[in-house]
Amino acid sequence: MLKYVIKRILTFIPMIIAISLIAFIISINAPGDPVERLTKSAGSEGTADEQSGASKKEKQEIRKKLGLDLPIFYINISNLSVSDTLYKIQDRSHKDNIKKLVHKCGNWNVVSEYYKSILTFERKSKKLIAEEILIQMYPEIDSNQNRKKLLNDINETINQIGFEVGSLCETSESNLIDLKLNKIQSFIDSNSYLTHLKTDFEKTKKLRGDLISEATKWKTYIPTILWYGTKNQYHLWLFGNGKDRKGVIRGDFGISYIDSQPISSKIWDKIGISFGLSIISILLAYLVSIPIGIYSAYKKDSKTDRITSLVLFILYSMPSFFVGTVLLLQFANPDNLSWFPVSGIQDPTIFDPEWGFFKKLSHRIPYLILPIITYTYGSFAFLSRIMRIGMIDIVSQDYIRTARAKGLGEKKVILKHALRNSLLPIITVFAAIFPMAIGGSIIIEMIFSIPGMGLEIFTSILNKDYPMIVTVFTLSGFLTMLGYLIADILYAVVDPRISYK
Amino acid sequence: MDKTNENFSFKKYAWNQFKKNKIALISLYLLLFLVIIALFAPYLANDRPLYCEYEGNTMYPAFADETRKDSIFDKNGEFVQVLQYDITDWRQLNLSKVIWAPIPYSPNSMDRYNRDYAAPGGKQRYKSPSGEILDIPNRFRHKLGTDGIGRDLASGLIHGTKISLMVGLVSMGIAALIGIILGALAGFFGDNKLKMTRIKYYLTIIGVVLGIFYGFGFRKYEISNGFNDGFNSGMWEILISFVLFLIIIILLRLISRIFGISSFNKEIFVPIDTFVSRGIELLNSIPRLILIITISAVVEPSIWIVMVIIGVTGWTRIARFTRAEFLRIRSLEYVQAAQSLGFSSIRTIFKHALPNALAPVFVSIAFGIASAILIESGLSFLGIGVPDDIVTWGNLLNLGRQNLEAWWLILYPGLAIFFTITIYNMIAEASRDALDPKLKS
Repeated sequence: MLKYVIKRILTFIPMIIAISLIAFIISINAPGDPVERLTKSAGSEGTADEQSGASKKEKQEIRKKLGLDLPIFYINISNLSVSDTLYKIQDRSHKDNIKKLVHKCGNWNVVSEYYKSILTFERKSKKLIAEEILIQMYPEIDSNQNRKKLLNDINETINQIGFEVGSLCETSESNLIDLKLNKIQSFIDSNSYLTHLKTDFEKTKKLRGDLISEATKWKTYIPTILWYGTKNQYHLWLFGNGKDRKGVIRGDFGISYIDSQPISSKIWDKIGISFGLSIISILLAYLVSIPIGIYSAYKKDSKTDRITSLVLFILYSMPSFFVGTVLLLQFANPDNLSWFPVSGIQDPTIFDPEWGFFKKLSHRIPYLILPIITYTYGSFAFLSRIMRIGMIDIVSQDYIRTARAKGLGEKKVILKHALRNSLLPIITVFAAIFPMAIGGSIIIEMIFSIPGMGLEIFTSILNKDYPMIVTVFTLSGFLTMLGYLIADILYAVVDPRISYK
Repeated sequence: MDKTNENFSFKKYAWNQFKKNKIALISLYLLLFLVIIALFAPYLANDRPLYCEYEGNTMYPAFADETRKDSIFDKNGEFVQVLQYDITDWRQLNLSKVIWAPIPYSPNSMDRYNRDYAAPGGKQRYKSPSGEILDIPNRFRHKLGTDGIGRDLASGLIHGTKISLMVGLVSMGIAALIGIILGALAGFFGDNKLKMTRIKYYLTIIGVVLGIFYGFGFRKYEISNGFNDGFNSGMWEILISFVLFLIIIILLRLISRIFGISSFNKEIFVPIDTFVSRGIELLNSIPRLILIITISAVVEPSIWIVMVIIGVTGWTRIARFTRAEFLRIRSLEYVQAAQSLGFSSIRTIFKHALPNALAPVFVSIAFGIASAILIESGLSFLGIGVPDDIVTWGNLLNLGRQNLEAWWLILYPGLAIFFTITIYNMIAEASRDALDPKLKS
């Protein structure tokens, strides 16, 4: 018995690791740049150019805090052409582009030189200021109109060059690269004030040629394994760094993209409502379904049994979102019957947090009736069916026959001998209650606008708040496993017949 | 008496048992009806007429390609106009003879005279070819009403049937493929039946790693470019990658035959059952809806991806049943006979054992289709994963939720989902009872 429990707990651990890995893989592959999302949510304003200058440092800090300057995992299977320092490049689109270039050319040194030369060129071209050029080039100009026109032309050229160079960092297709290079070339040739950029440009062009002439494509065919040690994103995500990040195992799930709040506190605020709802509805479902199950198993194949079976079957096939919407349509609709409020869990205008527990409860009850019905009927139908099948199975066992043979009344046989054992399968369902509190109620909370976890998940999916989504995924996986673990152990305690080899 | 025994086949017996269940039989006919609706959806609900005569030209617009363009000449050979089939408003043309589809609207065509939730029995308007706005003639009435932008609900329901049935079929097809193969291998070989020389075992593992490297790591830009071009070319690239992956594994297994050193050739057992069972356990311990929602939040919205996700996450039940059946079957005489005749394991599994293990698998596939349809409509109801421009039952119902006055948008799609799920569940229950009398409860 103890051996079984220990063994069961030991299989629990690799499962948890697997879940965390899946969650991490999903979070890594989420589209978009988290740094951009976080700086946007911080609400920085201004033109694009100002922003890039002003918030560069801020971005750097966020990147560091999120650990994005680290390699992704302990090891990385890659090929010979990729350097182990690739992860250090900050801009995500630049990084993707360099990966593509390396994949095409296979020579890391040339690609990195090429990238660096583009960056130098970009830096130099950004230093161009139209007014200074104007004064240098045309010192004698006096007509205001001419001046404006020339200034416009120069500005236009500078902007064009900036655009072309910037997009060069994100281009990997060779004909597009050539097109952009030719464009820049024509700008430099036709405008004398750009001559000092010529040497840098020639260098970039030469390296562009090297991309083709010094390509070592064979290197991309050879797999290599890179080892990064514990300084990586997964390790940081899971265990934290002992300073500002505490890691998932200590309950730090990162910050939300929407409002930069810690996710753990957001979940903590919302989980109570969902948890309460699911507890109430599960208890109600048990209260109704156990007697129904027993009764229809007891009267097996009678008319009542058939009718209840059919009704349960139909209820079971009814999608909860349909039932919820129909209830709203019928009972919370001024056109039909306006018995219940449409949404929420309380009336914000008259709700007072100072109220006592019962006052709060009685205020909330009308809000909760429709959601609880929607929540309950599905599991009620499901549970009754399980209960009925389990009961029928038990009733055909030998010991029940024995009990009957020794002359016990049917009532006693069912309620005393059969019931206890037929309750076993239902234990498993109870284990599902925790994960249900986290995620099972998305549809219902969305229909009734109940501000619980489900609605939180729904809004975070609409807003693509990936840290939240991944956290919910991790937590619900963990809690389900914990539920199964507890259920299995309870089983082993309650039912000694089950063999655990 | 002898004759009946000779002709006795399990399939016939099961079918006879199934037929006894009247409700299930009706469900089967209803399913057939749904399939017919889905197959003929473009001809049942279309805003292009099935047949018409315009200025002396005979046309069959509903059967033609959507993007077709015709230059129309009248009887005297004079040019009248160019008709582009999908943007022409056929109701506004002076057609001399015309046969409309039973529902003369396409699921995405917006009737701008009946916007803002036109009720089924309420006032609906219509612009006649002569340009007057009239009360709608019975032929063009939106029999089940419209939504906020004037799309016909009946047409949406008919075309939604196609998507619903396809979701069930495609996703459970994928799930069945994965589940049956893994379950059969796990059940047939168990943990201590599949022997392999040590060198072959390790080389196979290396082959899997290398196969992933060359097939998917090395070709990832080809795959993503393929998906940028379109879904089909993306799937094609994935297929190429998969073939490459298999070739590499087979190659390494061939290489392993060269080695003759004795210590490498020691045979070890491959714990295939443990792998599969752990995989099932892992997938079962993640709440399915959460898993699907999480993945579809990360990838681009597409109905095909939703189907693939539902399939890839839904194979565990099928694998469990197949495994259990194979555990039972592998010790039966006919399987042992096949093995002692020297048939290969693959042949024994797929030719001899599998046909006898399919009964419970069939039942769980039928239940699986019901839950796949439920999940898909739930996702469309939430607006996750399924793009807005595809009309499905779920997102029609969601439109109704947003405007409770439009009860027809709640009732009809909801009933459609409910009936389809019930039909599948009924068929599954009845076939379970028919295929396995022991399970009958």
